[in-house]
Amino acid sequence: MNRFKAILERDLRKFIRNPLVVAMSVLMPVIYLVILGNSFQGELKRLPVAVVDQDKGPGAEWVMERLSALEAGPRTVEVIRVSSQGFAMEALREGVFKGVVIIPPGFSRDLARGSLAEIGLFLDNAETIAAATVQSAIARAVSEPGMEFVSVREERAGARLRPIEIYGKIDYDQTLIPGVVIMAIFLGAMTTGAFNIVMDRFLGVEESYFLTPLTKSDIVVGLVASGLLITTIIAVVVLFFSSLISGIYLWRLLTIDGFLLMLAVIVLSTLGLQGLMFVIMGRLNHPRIVGILGGFMNVIFFFPSGAIYPTESFPAWLKAFAIVNPETYSVHALRALMFKGAGFGAVKGDMAFLAVFAVLAVIAGTAAFKREL
Amino acid sequence: MYAIETENLVKKYGGLTALDGVTLKIPEGDCFGLLGPNGAGKTTLIRILTTLIRPTSGMAKVAGFDVLKEKAGVRSAIGVVPQAMTSDLDLTGLEIMDIYARFYGMGKKERRERTDELLSMVGLRERAGDLIATYSGGMRRRLEIARGLVHRPSILILDEPTIGLDPQSRRVVWELLEKFRKGDNLTILLTTHYMEEAEYLSDHVAIIDYGRIVALDTVEGLKKAIPQKDTMELTVSNIDMAKAREAVSAHPSVGSVAVNEATLIISVDNGANAIPELVDKLRALNAKVTRVTLKEQTLEDVFIHFTGRPIREEEARKVSFLLGAGVPRQWGK
Ligand SMILES: Nc1ncnc2c1ncn2[C@@H]1O[C@H](COP(=O)(O)OP(=O)(O)O)[C@@H](O)[C@H]1O
Ligand SMILES: [Mg+2]
Repeated sequence: MNRFKAILERDLRKFIRNPLVVAMSVLMPVIYLVILGNSFQGELKRLPVAVVDQDKGPGAEWVMERLSALEAGPRTVEVIRVSSQGFAMEALREGVFKGVVIIPPGFSRDLARGSLAEIGLFLDNAETIAAATVQSAIARAVSEPGMEFVSVREERAGARLRPIEIYGKIDYDQTLIPGVVIMAIFLGAMTTGAFNIVMDRFLGVEESYFLTPLTKSDIVVGLVASGLLITTIIAVVVLFFSSLISGIYLWRLLTIDGFLLMLAVIVLSTLGLQGLMFVIMGRLNHPRIVGILGGFMNVIFFFPSGAIYPTESFPAWLKAFAIVNPETYSVHALRALMFKGAGFGAVKGDMAFLAVFAVLAVIAGTAAFKREL
Repeated sequence: MYAIETENLVKKYGGLTALDGVTLKIPEGDCFGLLGPNGAGKTTLIRILTTLIRPTSGMAKVAGFDVLKEKAGVRSAIGVVPQAMTSDLDLTGLEIMDIYARFYGMGKKERRERTDELLSMVGLRERAGDLIATYSGGMRRRLEIARGLVHRPSILILDEPTIGLDPQSRRVVWELLEKFRKGDNLTILLTTHYMEEAEYLSDHVAIIDYGRIVALDTVEGLKKAIPQKDTMELTVSNIDMAKAREAVSAHPSVGSVAVNEATLIISVDNGANAIPELVDKLRALNAKVTRVTLKEQTLEDVFIHFTGRPIREEEARKVSFLLGAGVPRQWGK
């Protein structure tokens, strides 16, 4: 007991002596949130759409009203009236507009007669996500119940390759927060616990520990405990900060029970990854190998976890991996606790998986660790 | 009972035999020096005795405990100062001492007293609160000696304790070991490739070469083992060294002859008389004799007598094919 505590204390002291690492462990996941939020997810907003009104009747007015409502409400599009169809199409090809709506002559008349009234929508299919967003937003806007007869005829302009635009102003997606917390746990697990063994080995320091009565489990348990403590604290701080910058006040959102459950999920996830790191690093002796494996594993575990895209969208083989990936369960549980106000019942399956994984990983990690030169 | 006892220890690394049947008996309270050049197998032997690696065959007992079957017993009986520096740079001297003391289950008060006592003895009390990263090589070594003694082991094992230290720090370490040796009936086993070190510190010296013990006695005894009393060095040119050696060996008062580059190292009786005769012999073969020295025997000569070559400093170093510099530390230095 005393021996394992001595190891734990040694690690904590060493970690705190590296304030830069402490700061980076917290900052980097939060920066991930900003970058991921801006580059992947997030709804697109203020997509410029040109409207060419060749009808100039009451029907066209009605369409314009609907589009203005779309502009004012969800702000998906920004409507720009253009008089010349030729100019609008040219601008679409240039990428100025993400879509062009054409209200053809006779639209009001068709509408009044009750026959099929069509508006045309031209999209730039070089940018599929923006195109899909514009298409669905406009289709929804003009197809009110009772107005089914207004249909949107979609016409695609010829594809043309040009640099993809970067959108400046997009809200951070709050649903990414669980993923970011898991990312923090992964980084923590990778740079504490088993990593100390690799460093000790690399620096030739481990020899002097092996000369003492320390047992294999003293060493593994001591290192896992210190890694667990450090990583859990980092993960909670990251959870707090990333929520804050995306406008969530955790203390309003969560009950004590909810927070404790989240903490339990974080602890179990950390324990599992710490054990896994021992399995992988238990015999490594060069930090560079850890660097390369770490970068690889981060992606392997993170992206198929559903942290960014829902696992439902995966092909079967990737789904199969997601099922054994502990991060899948962590993300699922954290998301349910954070946004759906779920109780223990909703996450007990996730927690059971994480607990079993953690126990197996620590056992395997102890076995993999070589207490010998 | 012996403090350390080995029987026919063998350690093979693939095709390389690092230890080739080592049998040793070190009595309690002895200061035992294991003298050998780099790559002789000193670190390998120490690592087997300290439970870090397993022998390929053979038996070893340390403090009465079998190194394979009673590892825990061995580990609490010994204090070890490994060849490489092994103290964590980002801890302080005090922290290292305390953490190690806890590994041996020492209580708080006992730890504080022992740490204090040892740090004073090795002259690090003032610097105890500083990070080890700020220590010099000599200070680090002294700290590691103190660390090895923190739990009052009955056997202290040091693997090349002064390697890489400047002459002054080396002296300090020697004096320190002298001091510890006098108290506590401590058994000391140290390896070295420095003659003066073995001579200065050891009661008994074993000479190890290519994994084999080639001689074992007191320093005096070893010196007596060489029949010739003097060592003559002749530096020659303009002659094949094998031929020169042959010519010199033929002289009746010459014992063993070793060759070190252009120098013949000759053990000889009554060296002063032999000088002109040997020089004449070489000249007769058209050789030039550029330098002659004559000195009294040292342990170095003993080494040469038993191994046929002087101790060299060069080093067998292996690097992994797959990982480059990722591996060699395992081999020690
Ligand atoms: N892990 C290892 N793998 C292969 N060869 C080794 C290993 N460790 C030591 N050796 C070899 O065994 C021999 C003895 O090495 P060592 O015991 O370190 O010598 P010393 O300590 O006397 O300098 C050397 O030839 C060395 O290269
Ligand atoms: Mg060595």
